[in-house]
Amino acid sequence: MATLKKSTELLESMYSVIALLFILVACVELCDAAAAVDVYRLIQYDMSGSPFGSRFAALNHHAASLSFPPGADLSRTVLIIPLRELNITFVREYITQKKPLGGLLFLLPEVLSFKHGGNKQVHEKEKMKKLLAELERLLVHSNIPYPVYFAFENDDIDTVLADIKKNDAMGQPATATTGGYKLVIPTAEPKKVASPTITNIQGWLSGLKADGDANQLPTIAIVASYDTFGAAPALSVGSDSNGSGIAALLEIARLLSLLYSNPKTRGRYNLLFGLTSGGPYNYNGTQKWLRSFDQRLRESIDYAICLNSIGSWDNELWIHVSKPPENAYIKQIFEGFSNVAEELDLKVGLKHKKINISNPRVAWEHEQFSRLRVTAATLSELSVAPELFEGTGGLFDGRQYVNETAIIRGVKLVAESLARHIYGHQGKNVQIFADESSLAVNPAYIRSWLDLLSQTPRVAPFLSKNDPFVMALKKELADHADEVNVQHENLEGIFTFYDSTNARLNIHQVASVTFDLLLLLVLGSYLIVLFCFLVITTRGVDELISLFRRPPSRKVKTA
Amino acid sequence: MTMFHFFNCAILTFGPHAVYYSATPLSEYDTLGTSVKAAVVYLGTALVKLVCLATFLQVSENDGFDPYQELLKALIGFIDVAGLYFALTQLTHRNISQNHKFQAVGLGWAFADSVLHRLAPLWVGARGLEFTWDYILQGLEANANLVLSISLAALASLIWLRKNKPKTLIPIIYACAGIVATMPSITSYLRRGLGWYFPKVVGFELFTSLVMAFISWQLFSACQRPSA
Repeated sequence: MATLKKSTELLESMYSVIALLFILVACVELCDAAAAVDVYRLIQYDMSGSPFGSRFAALNHHAASLSFPPGADLSRTVLIIPLRELNITFVREYITQKKPLGGLLFLLPEVLSFKHGGNKQVHEKEKMKKLLAELERLLVHSNIPYPVYFAFENDDIDTVLADIKKNDAMGQPATATTGGYKLVIPTAEPKKVASPTITNIQGWLSGLKADGDANQLPTIAIVASYDTFGAAPALSVGSDSNGSGIAALLEIARLLSLLYSNPKTRGRYNLLFGLTSGGPYNYNGTQKWLRSFDQRLRESIDYAICLNSIGSWDNELWIHVSKPPENAYIKQIFEGFSNVAEELDLKVGLKHKKINISNPRVAWEHEQFSRLRVTAATLSELSVAPELFEGTGGLFDGRQYVNETAIIRGVKLVAESLARHIYGHQGKNVQIFADESSLAVNPAYIRSWLDLLSQTPRVAPFLSKNDPFVMALKKELADHADEVNVQHENLEGIFTFYDSTNARLNIHQVASVTFDLLLLLVLGSYLIVLFCFLVITTRGVDELISLFRRPPSRKVKTA
Repeated sequence: MTMFHFFNCAILTFGPHAVYYSATPLSEYDTLGTSVKAAVVYLGTALVKLVCLATFLQVSENDGFDPYQELLKALIGFIDVAGLYFALTQLTHRNISQNHKFQAVGLGWAFADSVLHRLAPLWVGARGLEFTWDYILQGLEANANLVLSISLAALASLIWLRKNKPKTLIPIIYACAGIVATMPSITSYLRRGLGWYFPKVVGFELFTSLVMAFISWQLFSACQRPSA
């Protein structure tokens, strides 16, 4: 009995040893790469059924640099292109002529990284901005049948690239037989994002209703769209478009809520703050938000101010409207803004763009209001309406391209204009939000929100319903407003998005197959030589020869 | 890269043992049992050494050469010699000549050493995509180790199994045995104390193993001659 128990115990301990052995054997393939880098994939989406973006995610090819020998077959190679060597015409040629390529890896300067770049200065800002904008425009609107990734330069990748360039210069592109570097990204096939949601957050600040006043108070709306879209969704932080708008909206909400918290200074207007999603997709979220309103509420909106990119301007802002400038309401709004602008020593211009109901393209947020007959205007530093997927927070739109002072001045402009309208001080030289007062604009508040926004990629299909950032926005608005509502909607059907936005790239230094074969040959001959040597020294040369002599045939014996 | 390279390195590390067994008269006399027993004794010795090392040795932060620690390691290395003594003398072997006994014991010893020290790194490392020269160098080291083990076994058998040795040769035999036994300490001194790179150390090991093999061969054949 005792022996049986002992033997079972022994067996159990053996099982654990065997299990450990299996685990060890299975864990072999874990990374042993020369370098491992975080990479971010180009966006992949379908618009009305047509595919756009990079259609593949997994990568397992040899690497080559731009100095590859002309005429080389690149259908199984990945081109590594650092931004400073980027030739847009070359890339455009490859993509539009559908030349076969294994993959593309773009290396961005480290200063643009929101994780490591920090606040270092960017050299040649304008040139880089233009180049990145052009590259983004090309990639986002093309259908690319191979993986395209973005990565930030660091020491590891730089040494690897230098090595690859050296090998390429010698006229030997890396293939299976000549060794070199292999880039491996082991991810699964990208899947569709099922029913992407857009979340609109609204905050309501009630005005002071006089006793016996049955009518609804008029409402003023301040709206900004918070989501972004860019070539690399995991890098689309959109500091200017529209991080600046969100930071400004939150600061305006804070200031006005300070005024409204005291019944003596509460205005006779209701205030509606809207943080909408779905901006890049023809302001789909704003449309759904407005459609969900009660008819009476919509009619009670006096006017709406939409904020879009107010972070990097010097002296001039634009107010874009869709109603003709001769309209009385538009005139009133513009005059109010101009007066304040003069005092703040900046210029405000008016731009009129007629809306075309049959055209589905909505370039400004106020157009969605105008389509439902609500007076609205957009305040922006841009003078021309952006194209589809432009100015929605791309690769270059990072913290370095936003200027806090510009946002502060924008906040002063909007808050002052709104307050004068609410309290009936138009034209009077009264500073409600004066500096050094308790109602002064708080630069630290704007700065902290801008920093947070510049580190949070906000592409709507990849933000879940309870995304922590969206919850944070809701909580912040709840601090300032009386009532906060969150509305979840599905993104418009013509857009389909695919997941897999970032991955880990392993760079392996591999030896070629010919090397292995050569080694096998050498080892084989070494063992044979060793064998002969040992036979000769221990048994004598005759033995060696006898190994090769055929034994005498049987037939001779029996004969 | 993967399995092919692993296969190449495996035949470099373990091939010579098989070749040695089949090429020399060991296969004719079927001395496999002796080799297996010697391998088992090596396992036991390795366990004892492990326990001693864990008990007495301190882990140093830097990778430098600490003479006191190395001395301790060398002393523990002599447990190796004790194990070899045990394998040669205490185990019952079939009736095989002394000539073949030490070869079989040395072979089993070296094979167990290679498997224990080199199989696991080979399996885990050489199958990856990444290419390094390390595993080929490790294979060469295994070859040198084979030669050293056989020469150590030869010298050990001379010391303990042969009774009538020419007087003059005895100190030489002991000296050579001492050098071969302390080879691990010498290589670790070269690697850490002098900072030699791995290829250089492997080259040194190969060279010394051939030299020691030659010397021990000469000593063995000298002792074979009946003393005049």
